[in-house]
Amino acid sequence: MSGRGEVRFEDIIKMHGEFAALKGVNFEIKPGEFFALLGPSGSGKSTTLRILAGLDAPTAGHVYIDGKDVTSVDARDRDIAMVFQSYALYPHMTVADNIAFPLEMANMPRAKIGPAVVDAARKVKIDHLLDRKPGQLSGGQQQRCALARAIVRKARLFLLDEPLSNLDAKLRLETRAELKKLQRSLGVTAVYVTHDQEEAMTLADRMAVFMAGEIQQVGTPAEVFAKPNSIEIAGFIGNPPMNLLPARYINGDITIGGRWLKTTAQLAGERDVIVGLRPSALRIVADGINGKVDLIEDLGDSAILDIDCSGTQIRARVNHDNVPREGDAIAIAARPQDIHLFDPTTRKRL
Amino acid sequence: MAPTTDMAAAAAAAIVPNDFSRVLAQRERRFAAALLAPAFLALLATTTFPLMFLVWTSAFRMDLAMPFANGFVGFENYQALLTDERFWSSLLLSLVYTASTVVLQVVIGLALALLVMDMKRGQGWFRLIAILPVVLSPAVVGMIWRTFMLAPEFGIVDFLAINAGIGSKNWLGDPLLAMVSVIAIHTWQWTPFAFMVLLASLAALPEDIYEAARLDRATAWQRFRRITLPLLRPAIVMVIIMRTMVALTAFAAIFTVTAGGPGTATEILNLYAYRKSFTELSIGYGSALAVALLIVTVIISGVLFALRRAK
Amino acid sequence: MSARRVRMFALIAISLVFLLAWAFPIVWSVLNSLKTDPDVLAYPPKLIFSPTLDAYRDVLFGSGSILPNLVSSIVISVGTTIVTMLMAIPAAYALARLRFRGKKFAGFYVLATQMLPPVGIIIPYFLVLRNIGWIDTYQGIILIYLSFSLPFAIWLLVSYFEDIPFEMEEAAYLDGASRLRTLRRIIIPQVRGGIAVTVVFVFLNAWNEFLFAVVLSGNTVRPVTVAMFNFVSVEQTLWAKLAAVSVLAMLPVVALGVVAQKHIVKGLTVGAVKGGGRR
Repeated sequence: MSGRGEVRFEDIIKMHGEFAALKGVNFEIKPGEFFALLGPSGSGKSTTLRILAGLDAPTAGHVYIDGKDVTSVDARDRDIAMVFQSYALYPHMTVADNIAFPLEMANMPRAKIGPAVVDAARKVKIDHLLDRKPGQLSGGQQQRCALARAIVRKARLFLLDEPLSNLDAKLRLETRAELKKLQRSLGVTAVYVTHDQEEAMTLADRMAVFMAGEIQQVGTPAEVFAKPNSIEIAGFIGNPPMNLLPARYINGDITIGGRWLKTTAQLAGERDVIVGLRPSALRIVADGINGKVDLIEDLGDSAILDIDCSGTQIRARVNHDNVPREGDAIAIAARPQDIHLFDPTTRKRL
Repeated sequence: MAPTTDMAAAAAAAIVPNDFSRVLAQRERRFAAALLAPAFLALLATTTFPLMFLVWTSAFRMDLAMPFANGFVGFENYQALLTDERFWSSLLLSLVYTASTVVLQVVIGLALALLVMDMKRGQGWFRLIAILPVVLSPAVVGMIWRTFMLAPEFGIVDFLAINAGIGSKNWLGDPLLAMVSVIAIHTWQWTPFAFMVLLASLAALPEDIYEAARLDRATAWQRFRRITLPLLRPAIVMVIIMRTMVALTAFAAIFTVTAGGPGTATEILNLYAYRKSFTELSIGYGSALAVALLIVTVIISGVLFALRRAK
Repeated sequence: MSARRVRMFALIAISLVFLLAWAFPIVWSVLNSLKTDPDVLAYPPKLIFSPTLDAYRDVLFGSGSILPNLVSSIVISVGTTIVTMLMAIPAAYALARLRFRGKKFAGFYVLATQMLPPVGIIIPYFLVLRNIGWIDTYQGIILIYLSFSLPFAIWLLVSYFEDIPFEMEEAAYLDGASRLRTLRRIIIPQVRGGIAVTVVFVFLNAWNEFLFAVVLSGNTVRPVTVAMFNFVSVEQTLWAKLAAVSVLAMLPVVALGVVAQKHIVKGLTVGAVKGGGRR
């Protein structure tokens, strides 16, 4: 029953009346991959997940799972398990009954359900809570219960819709690590929807970044971080976000605040560009772009500086042993390979 | 984002339509139809069909006492109705009965709700006692009032009247007192309804706005006029609508207490339609009266719903 | 005495007057049902008397016993409740949850049927039942009781169904449950509270109904609200027995009212507070 869990979206379009929620989405997920759908709210990532689950039908296009066109296959025949943002636990059933429900629906014999339930509960460490009702559980326990209900069936695809967003910050970090381990140990393909870029970066093997109903970039977190495809992605990925500054490009050099910086770009001629500089790529140097430190946000191990470079605001992240004081005049620079260039009209990477 | 992509998407959708969404929608429709069918067939049979048949009957002379004279008469029943003094007086009685009972229920109910809201102890008693009249059959309520409350001398109301120096009254025999009595009985039974609904709505109002108002130095009366009343308005209007519909078709209590009498002193339109049809067995004319009642109900509820939407 | 205390005593006095006004007629009926006729008719009214159950014995087991009428009331009320719930639960679910064309109209239709005056329904209904010989039958009465119990039950239930999150159904669906199975195993158990409230209301309304009952009842089917009239006639009123019958007619609904106190308030307010245009 369990296949490999390979997914392919082919030109998926979803219209809500006149509004295009998805405008032709294409991507592939490899078996066993932890794949994140990342994007701000309303970007189409949840719609994509719902179409993959079969809860919504696409307006056009095809969905393939393990090479088979499942576009017109019912949700309950797709062999997919899902963890909802609200967990959607059945409040009138005990934890054990909740976990057993999918097995019962699959007509598994009673004798085999019990051990399977205990096994799944043990994997997420809630085997001591089996007799409780969801209302008697803490948020974290509820989330685990939802996980157990999803993994018990050993479905070929494991969908997670912002499963950590209802947990408090500390619990979220712990659960994040456990989730990754769980997915590894089960060897199942996971598709994970989130608006939190940090979550996607840490969890995903690969991710698709959604913007306004389109996928703007697919790649490993490292790739997307290193080479964002567009201004939107550059501004979305990384914390604090990339500095994006209009500048003039002339034969490999750019000018910011009256200073010339070398880039690795190979473009000929002269043009307007948007320059992307990650705060962490900026260093304090003796000779560079001159500016005045407006504000310092101390993060303990590092600090974020708001620097006023003759009217242009630039943020830089510096090591803790290297923090200037507010009001100091400093100079900053970046290595040529850390400078990203974007086209101001197409907003794509140059 | 850009309109061109939307149009391109729409164009693509038109070229490669996926009919699975249509299949899903159709499946949902069929499931809905299957679930709705029994209830809607029953409603058609017990409300819509009788209504059409009623309108049809109202165009006939249909006298169960004199069947030989029966036949189609068109609008004759309605013409008769327009010149029927008993109809106009029953309509007037209906309006008086409805307006007075509804106003009394809302005013007393609201006042009591405000009073009980501030009580630290004894709320439970109010909640418990208030349930009692509401769950009773109006027929039983009417019977109790007619006998043990309003009977001359040993009826408690009359006993109290005698001791208060008013003297024994013929509560149900005097035309005016009979009307007052049926209004009082209806108010007695249904004020707890308004009370309970308004108390629940009051309890649902957020407390911090009152604290804010207090800090803004609003007096108790100002807090009531400027905060409580506007916030409670939807609930009050809803109570008025619900109680009006019930009062217009009140039957059992009046029927048991006075049966519309003495003479026609408490014969509201609803009761007139009943008496004409089932006591005087003049079903055709009774149907016309029922249609008239329906029209009055629709007009009044239209006005009330407009009131609800206003502002 | 300070103004504050005067105010407090005034409030307590007003409260007591109203509590008494609401409770007294009911309590007084109970007391009268335990009296003999002369005690009922005594002037001034007697609060102290030697109680007797004679009136109850007579109305239950004497000639003209109202036991069959109590049975009638029970059969009508229980029957109406069962039929209503069987139809209203699926309909309310569909109206609350499913997407289909004409849904708005369907909801409006249910609402509009409640505007029909009962007297306008009973006239044609009486003519039809007379023709098919269903007057004085349980099926006749229960069928027409649907005209008021169904719309009410549907709207009350819709508000409960709407409270269940959509994801619950989607989760069940992904877990492999069919729509019908989802409804039975996941949805309905979660609206048990709402179903209980609705059952109480439908039962109360059916038990208390009078207009339809008085027109359609006969020697076989005659609920207690109608049979009560046997004890008051032009010639004489059987005071204590009438009190006993009234108490018997009140007993089940008062018991239900007290037991389901919180639910009743919720049922009354669900339309007024939350549901806006529903009722």
